[in-house]
Amino acid sequence: MTDNIATDPKRTELEELLPFYANGRISAGDRARIEKALAGDPELVMRLDIVREDMAETTLLNESLGAPSHRALDRLMDRIEAEPREAPLLTRAKGGLMAWLGGWLSAQPPRRLAYASAAALVLIAIQGVALTGLAVRGTGGSFETASAPGTRPSERYVMLSFAADAKASDIAAFFKRYEASVVDGPRANGFFKVRVGDASLTTAQVDAIAARMKAEGAIISFVAPAP
Amino acid sequence: MHTESDEDLVKRIASGDRLAMKVLFSRHQVRVYRFVLRLVRDETLAEDVISDVFMDLWRQADRFEARASVATWLLAIARNKAYSLLRKRRDAGLDDDFAESIEDEADDPEIVLQKQDKGLAIRACLAKLTLEHREVIDLVYYHETSVEEVARIVGIPENTVKTRLFHARKKLGDVLKAAGIDRGWP
Repeated sequence: MTDNIATDPKRTELEELLPFYANGRISAGDRARIEKALAGDPELVMRLDIVREDMAETTLLNESLGAPSHRALDRLMDRIEAEPREAPLLTRAKGGLMAWLGGWLSAQPPRRLAYASAAALVLIAIQGVALTGLAVRGTGGSFETASAPGTRPSERYVMLSFAADAKASDIAAFFKRYEASVVDGPRANGFFKVRVGDASLTTAQVDAIAARMKAEGAIISFVAPAP
Repeated sequence: MHTESDEDLVKRIASGDRLAMKVLFSRHQVRVYRFVLRLVRDETLAEDVISDVFMDLWRQADRFEARASVATWLLAIARNKAYSLLRKRRDAGLDDDFAESIEDEADDPEIVLQKQDKGLAIRACLAKLTLEHREVIDLVYYHETSVEEVARIVGIPENTVKTRLFHARKKLGDVLKAAGIDRGWP
């Protein structure tokens, strides 16, 4: 197939900027140029769709890598303790509880998190059946995006509802695929608040995850990033 | 709640503040670890590298210049250390596939496709890219870096960043097509 974009230097230049348009790291001028071009260039739109799809999968791939073990911080601090410094240290502040806790939480090994996910799956399968029932009965209404009591702002969430005919086994597999877990719900309108990652996820990445979830129409009837 | 900036934390680290070091480590360790792990493909080695990265930060904090963000600085140090480690392993005969197209532990894209999951197939194909292509894809798509930041981290001109990423995307499309997924480009 002929690559029409490749034969047009102006379109090629814009095409090469699409990944940066998609990740939001582009100047206002280039953003405007791309948006103008996208309005009349279906081929460029198709390329942007591919970029966004690859971006979502790259995010999921990286998120699946887990985190360094708790040993990493311990070993680093041991090395620092053993490190001679030329000048006397001005500040000898000892690590407070919150700093230690923050480090510890973000340093949990993937295996430990996996155990938590496995336990959550059992709950999710049951909730999936219950939610399917709610959806079949046609419970409607709008949802609120206010944070649920007890949730932690250090995590990233989406709000979602399941398709009326989604199977419990598919819902369980869905949560496993995204390494997600329910933190609140089902609410009266049938929505769940679902954790999709930790605070290291940016807004664009949560958007990408939500977009990928939305594409799973057989399981999900609605999904949107939530605070 | 007031959150201290990375730059302020680095200033405190330069004066020997260990608490600031813990906070900065906690803030960046996961992303730096994942970036390194995608390069060296070994969890233990990746942890060794991030330990070295943050030791460099501890030693050189007073030399940090705010021309780049702390995150960019850390990723640049991490990349240098990861490549240095890979070169040592190659020279020692432990890795003979450095910078080549490396088979990953993930399923072959064809096998994944048989499982009817396009997303998994794309991820399997991402793992099939060369080191050079993987890192630029990760930096832009996952670490959300700009052209200028990639240029700084990888040490290449900005125009090369764009063309390298273009070729990485094209290669990904080729691998997907070979696995039976045709997205209309390339």
